[in-house]
Amino acid sequence: MLKSEKKSLIRFLLIYLLSTFFLFALAGIMFYNYEREHILDKQKDRLGHQAQNIKTQIRTLHNTFGETLVYPSSELLDSAIYDSDKNYIMGTYKQLKVLDEGKLETSGNRLFHISKVEPYYLGAAYLLVTKEIDQTLLWELQKSIYLFMLIAGVFFLILGIFLGRLFIAPMKSSMEKMNRFIEDTTHELNTPIGTILANIEILESSDKYGTSDELNRIEIASKTLSRIYDDLTYLTFNHKYNKSIEHLNVSVVLKERVAYFSSMAAIKQLTFDVNIEENIYLDIDNNDLLRVIDNLISNAIKYNEVAGKIEVCLTNISLLVRDTGIGISKKDIEVISQRFKRANDSEGGFGLGLDIINEIVMYYDYVLEINSTLKVGTTMEIRWER
Amino acid sequence: MGKIIFVCLFVLTKLISSEIDVSNSTILQNKCLSCHKSGQIPDELIYRRYLMVYSTQERMENAIFVYMKNPNKKNSVMHHPFFFKFPMKKKSNLDDETLRKMINAYLVKFDIKSKFIEMDK
Repeated sequence: MLKSEKKSLIRFLLIYLLSTFFLFALAGIMFYNYEREHILDKQKDRLGHQAQNIKTQIRTLHNTFGETLVYPSSELLDSAIYDSDKNYIMGTYKQLKVLDEGKLETSGNRLFHISKVEPYYLGAAYLLVTKEIDQTLLWELQKSIYLFMLIAGVFFLILGIFLGRLFIAPMKSSMEKMNRFIEDTTHELNTPIGTILANIEILESSDKYGTSDELNRIEIASKTLSRIYDDLTYLTFNHKYNKSIEHLNVSVVLKERVAYFSSMAAIKQLTFDVNIEENIYLDIDNNDLLRVIDNLISNAIKYNEVAGKIEVCLTNISLLVRDTGIGISKKDIEVISQRFKRANDSEGGFGLGLDIINEIVMYYDYVLEINSTLKVGTTMEIRWER
Repeated sequence: MGKIIFVCLFVLTKLISSEIDVSNSTILQNKCLSCHKSGQIPDELIYRRYLMVYSTQERMENAIFVYMKNPNKKNSVMHHPFFFKFPMKKKSNLDDETLRKMINAYLVKFDIKSKFIEMDK
């Protein structure tokens, strides 16, 4: 599976699972509240029956004459009786000295049941019966809901993966087709470009065509084509080949590439101002180094004014390429930076070059800095030492 | 010093109030319950009947006061057959204040709150 496919699938799954979880959580909460009320109603009904029993005992007590009156009590519940002014008379529940019906029903983890006593046996006009809510059933309910959510979560995860793959399938197929086409085309381009460049070298060495402008132009066009081919190959096959990190002399490679691009620069009457420190070494893949240097220089040539200047400067800290060209507006630099931050969303307009440079800079943990002023020029600097 | 005065005043007040209670109880015994006893009138039953109908001490006091001032079946909470067995009381000749004190003493004597005990669970 390609990186982009994986990313899309994960995003889809995240949205899908989060929204499903949110809906299920909402439904779970509503169901829990409904069932909780149901359980509490049942317990309240039971409390009502128990209140009737206590009333009967109070009535019996009312008709008992003796030195003492034993108030009915139970392990299961507490009760209290109040007179018609709602003042406490007696009970096993002693926390309410004045009855306030409005605040009761359920309070904390207790259930309350208030009923009127008529006639007022023992002077009691109200009977309050209370007991702790039986949490066992509520815990059972919570457990069932969590279990259901877990099972539903696993089910919807599997369903999500299946659906995600199903939705991605057409995109995957088109991408595979496109990749195959690019791979085939790139492969097919290799031979003719190689042949052209080889024959140009032969012609250049002959006396007849050695210095002709036409041959020079063909050479430049072929080199451009060759560079585009290299970029395309890099982007297409990059994920397939293993980098071979070597201790490379960047100074030597850079000088070679400046020489390589000199004919291209000459067409625009550009002059190179080369300042390369000797024996600068980096641990880098050869192809990566070539792609960075080629793209920096070719961009400097492409976007330069006729008879402009290209400054190439290599130190043990950085590689700098400065041109005197059209420049990039601040807004465009921001767009480029944003694009890089978003790890290369495929937006057009800036060519393959910058994408490749950025990809390599990120891979080696270098820093790319772009400074540009419109109609003055652009400076691109890659720093390997922070 | 202030504390000693306070304690003395408190003890004095308590003594006076208990003295008053005792004297009220004695007057009640002499002026009311002695006749009840000789007539075998069930004091506590009457109290419970008032309690069942009026619930609070204040309402009971008022109801008994009204009955004592004008004793008849309409002002009584007892069932009519009660008066077949026991004679209707004569109108009280006590002044209002004394009468109220006697009623209070009666209510205190049979107050159920003092009789309640709690059974161990």
